[in-house]
Amino acid sequence: MRLNLVLELLDVPGQLLDVLKPMGRLGANIVAVIHQRDVKTDEGRVPVQITIEGDEETLNRVIDDLEESGIQVMEVDGVLRREKITTILVGNIVDQDLKDTVNLLNQLPGVRVADLDLKMSDQPERSATKIVMEAREGLKLDLLNKINEIGALKGFLVINEI
Amino acid sequence: MRSDEVILMKIVILGFGAVGQGVARVISLKREHLLDKYGLQLDIVAVADRSGGAVFDQGLDPELLLKTKNETGKLSQYPDFGVEGFSGLEILDKVEYDCLVEVTPTNIEDGEPALSHMLKALKDGKDVVTSNKGPLALSFTQLSEAAQETGANFKYEASVGGAMPIINLAHDTLAGSDIESVYGILNGTTNYILSRMAKEGSSYEQTLNEARELGIAETDPTQDVDGWDAACKIVILANSVLNLERTLKDVKVEGISQITPEAMALAKKEGYLIKLIGEASQDVLEVSPRLVKEGSPFAVEGTLNVATLKTDLAEDVTVVGKGAGSIETASAILSDLLNIWKAS
Repeated sequence: MRLNLVLELLDVPGQLLDVLKPMGRLGANIVAVIHQRDVKTDEGRVPVQITIEGDEETLNRVIDDLEESGIQVMEVDGVLRREKITTILVGNIVDQDLKDTVNLLNQLPGVRVADLDLKMSDQPERSATKIVMEAREGLKLDLLNKINEIGALKGFLVINEI
Repeated sequence: MRSDEVILMKIVILGFGAVGQGVARVISLKREHLLDKYGLQLDIVAVADRSGGAVFDQGLDPELLLKTKNETGKLSQYPDFGVEGFSGLEILDKVEYDCLVEVTPTNIEDGEPALSHMLKALKDGKDVVTSNKGPLALSFTQLSEAAQETGANFKYEASVGGAMPIINLAHDTLAGSDIESVYGILNGTTNYILSRMAKEGSSYEQTLNEARELGIAETDPTQDVDGWDAACKIVILANSVLNLERTLKDVKVEGISQITPEAMALAKKEGYLIKLIGEASQDVLEVSPRLVKEGSPFAVEGTLNVATLKTDLAEDVTVVGKGAGSIETASAILSDLLNIWKAS
């Protein structure tokens, strides 16, 4: 059987090779690789489409191996593996320990803070931060609850997506 | 083609502010059309405002009602048929009518006097059409049970989203589909403020003042900017569209006063806008600022309202329309009156 994967790789030399090598080692055939370095995601990563062939067990092993080694598997056969969740927090972002805020989110299994933007106001309590997170499929509701919890704890206004 | 038989519907209008006057104007504007197309004649047999009212069982002249209100500010000055100090309940007791149009100023504390007006009419077996959010958001179950007991019609399309069709859309047009959730921009004032902030990069306070000067925000804008107006509407949708027994106190409400230009700028950078969204489903009942994608149906500007119904069969159905305005809101009341006539 064949499987179409969409991965997101960091734009540094050797990334693609690091992804492809283990595939061959695990016994999957690589059918096609579409890799355009000049197309980037908002976070500056490079999306790569890879089609692999093999028996089901092998292909599952490949996906597990990719995820274990920290590669962002975004889609498998058109099904999203990871959801991007954007939130904006308004309040005294820095005084309320931004590092701690990020850590609290990263502590959730399957969740990773992928991008963060901060805009300071003349009045510190009116500053805002945008946080983009990636969560494994199905974790979105837990994550949104966690964000609201952090917001309540630190006195932030939480602006989630619809 | 004029129908052979003219059906008469006698209407009492309680409240003669923007919406009540809009109803009188629309009835006057559409008089011929209603007669020609449906053989329906809408007679306003009584109207009341704070001063008292005007009562005439042969039908008051809508244009003269508007003229009297504009010139004197008091309906009790209506030539020959004006009465001072006539209360709404007295009118409902003494006047013979078919349908009450309840459009008194909304009250989100206890729903009065509208709640008593509507309960009395429904208990007397009279149909009720209203735009009045307060009593619906506080006592929806009580009102719909009162209607069920006597078999009277109880219609309130105008209470949510003004002219934007949503309640009848869900009940009639989408009949057969299960509606899982509903969410929308249900308050025009806050949408105006947030749209301007996104466009101009201005502060919340500045933009609110601008909206006040333009007459878009009221002198006391608390109910709008703190989200309570939208909260009333999402409760009405939760009850009427999702069949959930909820009241205003069940809503988690967050307004827009904490939105800063910094937050707006960050949202825009990522291709988002910030909008005040009401959302209702089995597990959620809230009004809060949310991120919506630029270019999506929710990226509406100005005082427009928009709402999406998530259904099992038809998937997402989204409507956009004018959420306020005298004639616009009256259009929804007229459609309720016609639906009552059609069902009779």
